[in-house]
Amino acid sequence: MKTQLEAISTQAKLAITEAQTQAEIENLRVKYLGKKGELTAILKQMGSLSPEERPVMGQLVNQAKAEVEALITEKGELMQQKALEQKLKDETIDITLPATEISKGKLHPLNTVLNDMIDIFTSMGFDVVDGPEVETDYYNFECLNVPADHPARDMQDTFYLAENLLLRTQTSAAQIRTMENRKPPIRVICPGRVFRADEVDATHSPVFHQIEGLVVDKGITMCDLKGVLEEFAREIYGKDTAVKFRPSFFPFTEPSVEVDVTCSECGGKGCRVCKGSGWIEILGAGMVHPNVLRSCGIDPEEYSGFAFGIGLDRLTTTRYKISDIRLLFENDKRFLDQF
Amino acid sequence: MKISLNTLKYYVDINVPVEELCDKMVMAGFEVESIEKEGENLQNVVVARIESIAPHENSDHLQICQMNIGKDELVQIVTGAQNIAEGDLVPAALDDSHLPNGMHIVKGKLRGVESNGMLCSGEELCLTEADYNGASVNGILILKDTEVIGTDMRDVLGLNDYIIDFKITANRPDCNCFLGVAKEISVVLGTEFKAPKPEYKTVGGDIKDYIDVQVENYDLCPRYVGRVVKNLRIKESPAWMQKAITASGMRPINNIVDITNFVMLETGQPMHAFNYNDLSDKKIIVRTAREGEKITTLDGKDYELSTDMLVIADGEKPSCLAGIMGGKESEIENDTTDLFLESAKFRRDNVRHTGRALGIRTEASGRFEKGIDIVNVEYAMERALQLISDLNAGDIIDGVLDRHNGLPEERVLKVTTDSIIELLGVEIPKERIVEILNSLELPTTIDGNMLTTRVPSIRDDIEGRADLAEEVMRIYGYDHIVGTKMKGAVVRGTKLPERIKTDKIKALLNGAGAFEIATYSFIASKAIDTLLLPEDDERRNQVKIINPLGDEYSTMRTQLTTSMLTVLATNINKKIADGRFFEISKRFIPKALPLTEQPLEIPTMSIGIYGENEDFFTLKGIIEAICNLLGGHTQYERSAEPYLHPGRQALVKANNKECAVFGQVHPAVAESYGIDCPVFVAEIKLDVLLAIEKRKTVYKPLPKFPAVERDFAVLVDKTVPVGNLEKAISSGAGRLLEKIKLFDIYEGAQIPEGKKSVAFNVFLRSADSTLTDTEIEDASSKIIKKLESIGAELRK
Repeated sequence: MKTQLEAISTQAKLAITEAQTQAEIENLRVKYLGKKGELTAILKQMGSLSPEERPVMGQLVNQAKAEVEALITEKGELMQQKALEQKLKDETIDITLPATEISKGKLHPLNTVLNDMIDIFTSMGFDVVDGPEVETDYYNFECLNVPADHPARDMQDTFYLAENLLLRTQTSAAQIRTMENRKPPIRVICPGRVFRADEVDATHSPVFHQIEGLVVDKGITMCDLKGVLEEFAREIYGKDTAVKFRPSFFPFTEPSVEVDVTCSECGGKGCRVCKGSGWIEILGAGMVHPNVLRSCGIDPEEYSGFAFGIGLDRLTTTRYKISDIRLLFENDKRFLDQF
Repeated sequence: MKISLNTLKYYVDINVPVEELCDKMVMAGFEVESIEKEGENLQNVVVARIESIAPHENSDHLQICQMNIGKDELVQIVTGAQNIAEGDLVPAALDDSHLPNGMHIVKGKLRGVESNGMLCSGEELCLTEADYNGASVNGILILKDTEVIGTDMRDVLGLNDYIIDFKITANRPDCNCFLGVAKEISVVLGTEFKAPKPEYKTVGGDIKDYIDVQVENYDLCPRYVGRVVKNLRIKESPAWMQKAITASGMRPINNIVDITNFVMLETGQPMHAFNYNDLSDKKIIVRTAREGEKITTLDGKDYELSTDMLVIADGEKPSCLAGIMGGKESEIENDTTDLFLESAKFRRDNVRHTGRALGIRTEASGRFEKGIDIVNVEYAMERALQLISDLNAGDIIDGVLDRHNGLPEERVLKVTTDSIIELLGVEIPKERIVEILNSLELPTTIDGNMLTTRVPSIRDDIEGRADLAEEVMRIYGYDHIVGTKMKGAVVRGTKLPERIKTDKIKALLNGAGAFEIATYSFIASKAIDTLLLPEDDERRNQVKIINPLGDEYSTMRTQLTTSMLTVLATNINKKIADGRFFEISKRFIPKALPLTEQPLEIPTMSIGIYGENEDFFTLKGIIEAICNLLGGHTQYERSAEPYLHPGRQALVKANNKECAVFGQVHPAVAESYGIDCPVFVAEIKLDVLLAIEKRKTVYKPLPKFPAVERDFAVLVDKTVPVGNLEKAISSGAGRLLEKIKLFDIYEGAQIPEGKKSVAFNVFLRSADSTLTDTEIEDASSKIIKKLESIGAELRK
């Protein structure tokens, strides 16, 4: 009986090792461990044994059963594992097939750039304010130290809506409204749409956008102006960007400067973009003219300030290397989708 | 202002290369628009000697010349000229040469004979007698026999000059002249400035015996200086003067006219020369024009004058448009013998208005508009007389008529050096500040740190410490400005709530696949007509631009839809299959027309969509999402916008306030934009949405008990809106209602004519307990009753 048990056990182990499919394994389980299985059958023969032999034999049979059971389970799990692997292998997909598109719109590139600027300036403590696009002559010119028939009015061709009403030619008008409504210290930027009678071409548009900046406080210096613009330029053009002041003239600032930054294309070495100079002109700025402060009820002896005006459209076209400003207003979806 | 470098050297020592000079001037506030090297358009033309002349076999007028150009080999050139002889020195344009008249000469064959260039005439080299003797001869220019063979013609003609175009800012009209720029150069380079000191000979007499000058309006003419010159000797002006005038873009005419122009370019003061003998009654009257008066100007054009225009009249009639252009009648001509010379200051706005009204702009009027110095009026006259005397152009009569109503007193500014330094943030030594101001001819002394500066009238742009700071800084150098951090409390910048909300709307729309667009704020005057609005629609009350760039951009928009339709059309015409777009901008609503005050600028949004998967309801979904985002509860009513499909449009109310109209664009309107597919637009009153006070969000416990779903399918008249059925279900279900979901609408087979079948899933739930069968049955029968009450019949 012992010999028989060993024979069955050996045979079973061999069969399990050789089994290839999960079905075979299941058959083996039935064949050896099932109710009518061979090992079960041996147990049934136990009655023919002596009481002394019975526990010894019983232990042997149970041991053999446990071994076979363990092998079958192990093999079964292995087979399952294999089957899963095969299934997953069969489910392999071509990962280069196109993605399922999710619908996604974009901000207009002008506003993408504007939002960057707003982030930079709000982080420096500037509030963002708005002003009207239709301005009075007073706010657009008079208050900005450009009296009627001042030659500086020739610098910009203005759209008039009535004798005294016009489309603002600069966001500087918002400076005045801010100074009338707030007391120093003032730190604001005013982004907005401005208008000049320029014929439409690749670099001119009668509608464009500016961001006006204004700071008024005690002890504000031209060096502070440069500090703020350097901060801005480094954020926009990269941390190695240098800022250069060139003297200029605006009626509402004195001293006035044009502000250049190192050409982001060539890093200042000189290239086609900067016409070999290594510098790109990006904005006009200056110390707020005492007459302007005075007309807003701020004492220029006590307070000083600076203002700057950045052309958003130019900043946008240079950032994205857009060759024709008209593209910004054509609104072709394939254009808008690029930013 | 274009100035030749050689002209500038007459007034100031320039000891640096032209590029360096220009760089330094830029950093002192004088932008350089261009540097043009003289003779750049004259290339590869040399002095050559004609060694031999032979006739051309195939031509009776061409001749074959062997030319010595200073090299080992002779160059053969065929010419048609007859005024040449062997041994003559002539200008020879060699192969690949350029002439100032635009010609590009290359070698070729003339009637079969090789010609390696061209012999040039004075005319082809654009020369006059003043440039080179014999230049006006008809034929080849025969050069002096002292010229050296092989010399470049640019060297022969002395073309070594540069013409620099300085951009003069509006605050520095005093620099619109040679002397002004030269003065600045002397400060920038630290070299000597040499202004001419006028001296001249007179021939006696007394101007009072010749003419009387009356100024009727000192407000418009604060100063008028007149002189008389007799026995004019009119001829060409000298070459140096012609060159200076030409470099600055003016045309030489004769010595008298050239002197007036030269003095204007040199001093900035426009001059005018009258033919003395053409002045009636020997009178000069500075007055405004009389009703109906006319003038014919130097360029032969006739103008009718209005009574606000200042003229220089003789005893009878206007003889000159003050500060703008002289009259034809009193023009200086080659046979003019006597001259009345004017140097005056006219008020700049009058010159500007007259010039604009008549459409004339001249070198002189431009200068008057920018502003000229009242003191300089006299200096310019003296300088002109000096040139007349030096060039022996006429005999100067003694005496001057100088009419003015008092000259301005010199202004004195008292400013501390500290206040200048505080503004700039740069520690400039006091002595340097004084030195710079003095070098700029702003005489300055210092006592402690108090500066006393005497400001001459020519610098009336200088009003106070900011101006002095600028003068100091631009010479001291802006590279001394070093960026600093502002003092004061660290603060966080804020955005207006409207901007924050608008940004959220944009993010939502981007997430919904919509692209933001930007369009002009003004539209064509007729654009509004495309919307087929009735005559009295308030959107037709549009603000017009008085001076638009053209009708296309003439009208401030009262709505954004027309711009949106244009953008949709653009994309559709480019075969772009679908698109969602939105714009957030302003509509301009006048409070009254004609406009008396600023119009309302109201935040407005438009949305436009098209494509295979778009319909009324996709747009409705977008609008609902926006309203909900801002805390608005939406309701829809039928609307009647003429530009929308009459059966596919709706008015939207958010929290009972009208906030939008949307729908499918009327096919006729779409067609007028060239759109041939269904497009859907919304015009949204963003101001209404932004004004919604959003209720504070408070957490609602998640449901603890299960929901029950019941389906209701009803037959109802086709005309009954689904919204009404939903209302019925809602009122029937009461507070147990969780959600109604429409899942089917059907018309056609098995449905009676004029009816439709509508089916809903209705979800019921109680917050306190699991619903019992009785409760569910109770709710269902109430729902059915309500549905029946509006004519819906439950389908079995």
